[in-house]
Amino acid sequence: MARMKFLCDADRCIECNACVTACKNEHEVPWGINRRRVVTLNDGRPGERSVSMACMHCTDAPCAAVCPVNCFYTTADAVVLHSKDICIGCGYCFYACPFGAPQYPRIGNFGSRGKMDKCTYCTGGPEPDFSVAEYEKYGSNRLAEGKLPLCAEMCSTKSLLAGDGEMIAAIYKQRVIKRGYGSGAWGWKTAYRETVTI
Amino acid sequence: MRSGLKLLSTLLVAVTLVAGPVAVGVALAQEPMQAGQNPTGQDPTADAVNEELLFKHESTIRGVVSIPDKRAGNLIQPQGREYRAFHERWLPWIAAVVILGMIVVLAAFLLIKGRMKSPRSAEKIKRYNVLERFTHWMTAACFIVLALSGLNYIFGKRLLMPLIGPDAFGTASQLAKYSHVYLAWPFMLGILLMLALWVKDNIPNRVDWAWLKAGGGVLGGHAHAGRFNAGQKVIFWMVIGFGLAMGFTGIALLFPFTLAGIHGMQLMQVVHASIGALFIAGIILHIYTGTVGIEGSFAAMGKGEVDLAWARAHHDLWVEEQQAKAAGGAHLGHPQPAE
Amino acid sequence: MLIKRKNGQAGATRLQAAAAGLAAGAVDRRSFLRRSGLTAGALAAAGSIQLGAVRKAQAAGSSAVSPEVVVKKNICTHCSVGCTVTAEVLNGVWVGQEPSWNSPINRGTHCAKGAAIRELVTSDRRLKYPLKLVGGEWKRISWEDAINEIGDKLTAVREKNGADSVYWLGSAKFTNEAAYLFRKFGAFWGTNSVDHQARICHSTTVAGVANTWGYGAQTNSYNDIRNAKTMIIMGGNPAEAHPISMQHILAGKELNRANMIVIDPRFTRTAAHATDYVRIRPGTDIPVMWGLLWHIFENGWEDKEFIRQRVYAMEDVRKEVAKWPPDEVERVSGAPGAQLRRIAEMFAKEKPATLIWCMGATQHTVGTANVRAFCMLCLATGNVGKPGTGANIFRGHTNVQGATDLGLDVTTLPLYYGLVEGAWRHWARVWEVEYEWLQSRFDEVPAIAGRKARTRKENMETPGITSTRWFDGVDLPPDQIDQRSPLRAMVVFGHGGNTVTRIPEAIEGMRNLELLVVADPHPTTFAALNARQDNTYLLPICTSLEMNGSRTASNRSLQWGEQVVKPAFESKNDYETLYLLAKKLGFAESMFKNIKVENNVPSAEDVLREINRGGWSTGYCGQSPERLKAHMKNQSKFDLVTLRAPKDDPEVGGDYYGLPWPCWGKPEIRHPGTAILYNTNLNVREGGGTFRARFGTERKGVTLLAEDSYSKGSDLTDGYPEFTMAVFKKLGWDKDLTPEEMAVIQKIGGDKIDAVSWANDLSGGIQRVCLDHGVSPYGNGKARANAWNLPDPVPVHREPIYSPRPDLVAKYPTRPDERQFRMPNIGFTVQKEVVERNVVRDFPLILTSGRLVEYEGGGEETRSNQWLAELQQDMFVEINPADASARGIRDGQFVWVDGPEAKAKVKVKAMITERVGKGTVFMPFHFSGWYEGEDMRRFYPKGADPVVLGESVNTITTYGYDPVTAMQEPKATLCQIRTA
Repeated sequence: MARMKFLCDADRCIECNACVTACKNEHEVPWGINRRRVVTLNDGRPGERSVSMACMHCTDAPCAAVCPVNCFYTTADAVVLHSKDICIGCGYCFYACPFGAPQYPRIGNFGSRGKMDKCTYCTGGPEPDFSVAEYEKYGSNRLAEGKLPLCAEMCSTKSLLAGDGEMIAAIYKQRVIKRGYGSGAWGWKTAYRETVTI
Repeated sequence: MRSGLKLLSTLLVAVTLVAGPVAVGVALAQEPMQAGQNPTGQDPTADAVNEELLFKHESTIRGVVSIPDKRAGNLIQPQGREYRAFHERWLPWIAAVVILGMIVVLAAFLLIKGRMKSPRSAEKIKRYNVLERFTHWMTAACFIVLALSGLNYIFGKRLLMPLIGPDAFGTASQLAKYSHVYLAWPFMLGILLMLALWVKDNIPNRVDWAWLKAGGGVLGGHAHAGRFNAGQKVIFWMVIGFGLAMGFTGIALLFPFTLAGIHGMQLMQVVHASIGALFIAGIILHIYTGTVGIEGSFAAMGKGEVDLAWARAHHDLWVEEQQAKAAGGAHLGHPQPAE
Repeated sequence: MLIKRKNGQAGATRLQAAAAGLAAGAVDRRSFLRRSGLTAGALAAAGSIQLGAVRKAQAAGSSAVSPEVVVKKNICTHCSVGCTVTAEVLNGVWVGQEPSWNSPINRGTHCAKGAAIRELVTSDRRLKYPLKLVGGEWKRISWEDAINEIGDKLTAVREKNGADSVYWLGSAKFTNEAAYLFRKFGAFWGTNSVDHQARICHSTTVAGVANTWGYGAQTNSYNDIRNAKTMIIMGGNPAEAHPISMQHILAGKELNRANMIVIDPRFTRTAAHATDYVRIRPGTDIPVMWGLLWHIFENGWEDKEFIRQRVYAMEDVRKEVAKWPPDEVERVSGAPGAQLRRIAEMFAKEKPATLIWCMGATQHTVGTANVRAFCMLCLATGNVGKPGTGANIFRGHTNVQGATDLGLDVTTLPLYYGLVEGAWRHWARVWEVEYEWLQSRFDEVPAIAGRKARTRKENMETPGITSTRWFDGVDLPPDQIDQRSPLRAMVVFGHGGNTVTRIPEAIEGMRNLELLVVADPHPTTFAALNARQDNTYLLPICTSLEMNGSRTASNRSLQWGEQVVKPAFESKNDYETLYLLAKKLGFAESMFKNIKVENNVPSAEDVLREINRGGWSTGYCGQSPERLKAHMKNQSKFDLVTLRAPKDDPEVGGDYYGLPWPCWGKPEIRHPGTAILYNTNLNVREGGGTFRARFGTERKGVTLLAEDSYSKGSDLTDGYPEFTMAVFKKLGWDKDLTPEEMAVIQKIGGDKIDAVSWANDLSGGIQRVCLDHGVSPYGNGKARANAWNLPDPVPVHREPIYSPRPDLVAKYPTRPDERQFRMPNIGFTVQKEVVERNVVRDFPLILTSGRLVEYEGGGEETRSNQWLAELQQDMFVEINPADASARGIRDGQFVWVDGPEAKAKVKVKAMITERVGKGTVFMPFHFSGWYEGEDMRRFYPKGADPVVLGESVNTITTYGYDPVTAMQEPKATLCQIRTA
């Protein structure tokens, strides 16, 4: 099976935020929940780089490890998903996540932090594929339709790559060789304990 | 001894976690451009920015985001690893060892020494009034639920989930979480009330030193004590100290990121969990002495009155004081012992 | 334990599942995560966003059994790149968006705005029904009442004050057909005061570039930038303004290892990807350009053969350039000589090289001169008319190119025919109305303040008032305004009120209008400024995604967008609204004579056919609706770089994508369009061309025709003038015309048949014959380095009106005061006062404005889109750390930014950043809804207020107008900042 990953080519990312709104559009993600975001490093200085970041679907995911209710699971495509029926909104996954991916709706008073929401790699959740329940809780399921996450598909400069790890690494390598520079696969070491060597 | 070890390990984790926040505000990899300087002549696409280089300067890679949630500016924060290691590798063992250890020690003690006997008499003396007992039991009840639901955070998935299945466990855990966050408030109120009610009787004094040297009477010989003996004072201050610490860290966890950043939150959770385990062990000791350990002690909180002879055996100075007050006729704080 | 099973529900699709939910009345897309308790808080944060959901649920609920998903293609409305939007529609509800993989322009991608465009249509923060202001309160009225009341009031104003007293402001978001109808409407109403957003974005480009080599448009295309080896982006930030263009730019940079040079006052997101960045002082483009050319001429790097063959009077430029040695350039602009030398060498030697610009170049009092100087760099180095070269001018809205082409401009009728009698007669023929009747619609202007009177005919040929100064047309004393009466009424279609500088004075103008009509999907700033109590109407117009029609992208490609969903709420499209107004005013019948109208909605296809019948001058004649639709259907067949389809394709064989104008002749002759203008390496029949011989054949004895240069396969192997019957007769080509064509030409020419030309021959015969001979119908001329008809024939540096360098004003003053566009332009007087009053002492910071990727234009649409609004929630000012610390300003705190005019001030958040240099501050121009610290949300019609409001930068921008187009000057003014 494929090992799905994200790779953001920071030498292409222009912080246009298409990935962010594509995500909102595809899943009707409400205000205040940011499954994906773009971070700009060295803002306004030479060497400025922007990187689009969401859940990286880590190998041996820390969120899953620290979850007190084991609501996480990994699909055959190596996508890290979770069950909102089981999640209790404790917040531990956010403390453990190296990428700040988990999001929590703040609904009302203390303690009623809602259930965690995060990037699903457009793969829905534990409910049956294409079921209404799946859509309501997790958003659409593009992977099951044979499509990739919309954020990557709509990326303005084709900076954000999604797909099988080896394939996107190969695309990235080819790009770097062709153009002669590349700031690396951001977050891969932390998420997958490996990086793209060129 | 064990407590010492635990504290040490907690502190170690705490130190590694603190290392992150300390570095906040240190400039990024590059020298800041001089204000107004024309950055001309430089190659703006120079490969100056990559992960490895940035990590050499700082443990977290941060940048700016346009959304108001500035936390989202943290791009990569591998500190989650230490948090995870502590949380998954150490915490369950620490908690298990501390809590089970305490139970084992007490059981052994009970087996070897048996219950501590106390003399009996026909007379009773009022030890706790209604407010005191209400405070105690409210706090105690909350504590039990908090402890159990808290333990569920650590052990639930390991012990309970395999037994009842994920769905039932999810529901149970959700209920547990709600009880945890809602009962935290009466618990914290109880801690504050306890502090107000009992602080003046719990100020350590020379008598406590003697009591401790005498081993609290356990090792033979008589130990003098006021309203609270040194052992009880230790429990009191533990409850107050741990209670406040749990309250503080708990509130920080209830209102995420209002008091602390990501590293602070990790630290809060670590402290909350570690102290929680210690707290539970301490309270087990307290429950032991208040019930099985010392004959006749339960009545104090149970009925509010204790056997006068029991009181003389364990709190002789307090009994004297009470009786002197009764003789003087003027007493405010404590009701007339029923003589 | 929770292992996902993939086998279930194999046949179902995601959308059907969503539909099942909709049909059951249980959920809709918005109820996402509600069961997890997600939405309540989010809704509270975003305000009420429920209505759209209800509407969608209702729409989907009507017929729910096994719903069919329909895919519709339209064009993104947020910039001129022309990204195809692929919409999935279910039961009339737009439920999903998919990547448009087949479009050669965006290849599946979008920016934040395009990826969020569904919300633009499905949001409930729109005008839902017509509203009217009664005593300061918005009251709902019916469309019928609205049209009747507006029509009656317009007629009354017209009777009292004349046709010119009504101002018609159109939109770059119109389709080509709507833009054309709007201009036609203006002609039928009897005024030339018909304008749109191009006035404030690229009017100077159009004027400057057209005056250089013939047409005022992007010479090449976004895709063609992939061929460039050197690119200079000056005064533009495509990473935020045209994100999809960056796909092509970065591809070029990577594949060719091209030089990518950004010259800008700001270190932008684009600059972050550049190989060189030059920081300059705002308003010093000409010194920088001359600085580059100084090195080129000094070192003999210019393309001498190209200049000899194809450029007129380059020596005049050389003389001006000689005044700009490196030290003077650095003194004025701050750009270091050594760096400019390196860049000049790259541009001249590492070819092909292209120059990309945007509003950083155009929005100045020297805007026209700036773009002329930019053209000079291309001409001197021979970087025009080949792949990878050219002036790649990035325009702003979806159809600002098309709306400009179709005459939403005070100086011309559709397609640049101008306002001369011949132009009016040409269009009268196309429209099949009497020229005399059109003339009768115009005012006679009496002699005012010593200026002589104008007859109807003269008034008909006089440019109108520009949108940048509409409020001056209301506020100035009547004797200063050169028409029968000052403006009394204004009709605004799809145009924000915060787009003009000097907003405090614009508010005064709004107060003084007798009637204000705003037709827009949103209330716009006009509604929020609280300037009026009565006689104000809001007409709900649907978005351009809810209507059919063609749009012209920046690269001149036309794309046909199909209606995605029916207009929401009570909104109507532009066609219907214009038709209803015309009907009320009594000229619908003649205006829509040749256009099919069904249920009051004119057919977009018929309008385009009418454009085809009259659009010879610009080659808008070959793009029939059928051809454009075939292109949309066959998008995948067009090449990514050349934009051309394979010759053997049955439907679009050999065509360039979108038939970029000029697409010569009638649709039947299947000209492929012109992907690269003035490209002599191609046959005209294949999209080649020459510089347009627009300015005569010679001047002072020097030829204006090309020498030894001609397009491939041309029968004429030297320069030649534009083709008329006279020229045809001389060449004997008149015999190639068919009898039918001759009959039409004879009818047009009458006894002056020799004057019938390629541009007004309605038969298309002249163009057809030209193509057969491989020649450009418009002639083969030289580009003009000296444009003698412009105020500065050779560009001259002139300091901004509010110059931060009073010491330079004496040497480089702005042009003398003059009357332009019916009003005085007193820039010189203002600049003199600025120096004398030492304004720079109290307002020492240079203020410039620009775009954010999340928002567009005045921002009303995009700030009403919750997905976008979430990303930019506060208006801000970028300020350098040194300037901030000197003023004790902390990042994120509120500050007052004071403008030097009218004691204007805005309250915004400080963003401390090194994007701007010391002494310069930047503000985005998309915000409105706050005014001088006051939140104006309560003045919006209920439920139609944008999610995010903020101060408009134009509240503090200042006086200053380009002499050629009355472009305003928001890119270089002064301000001061203090903590709030």
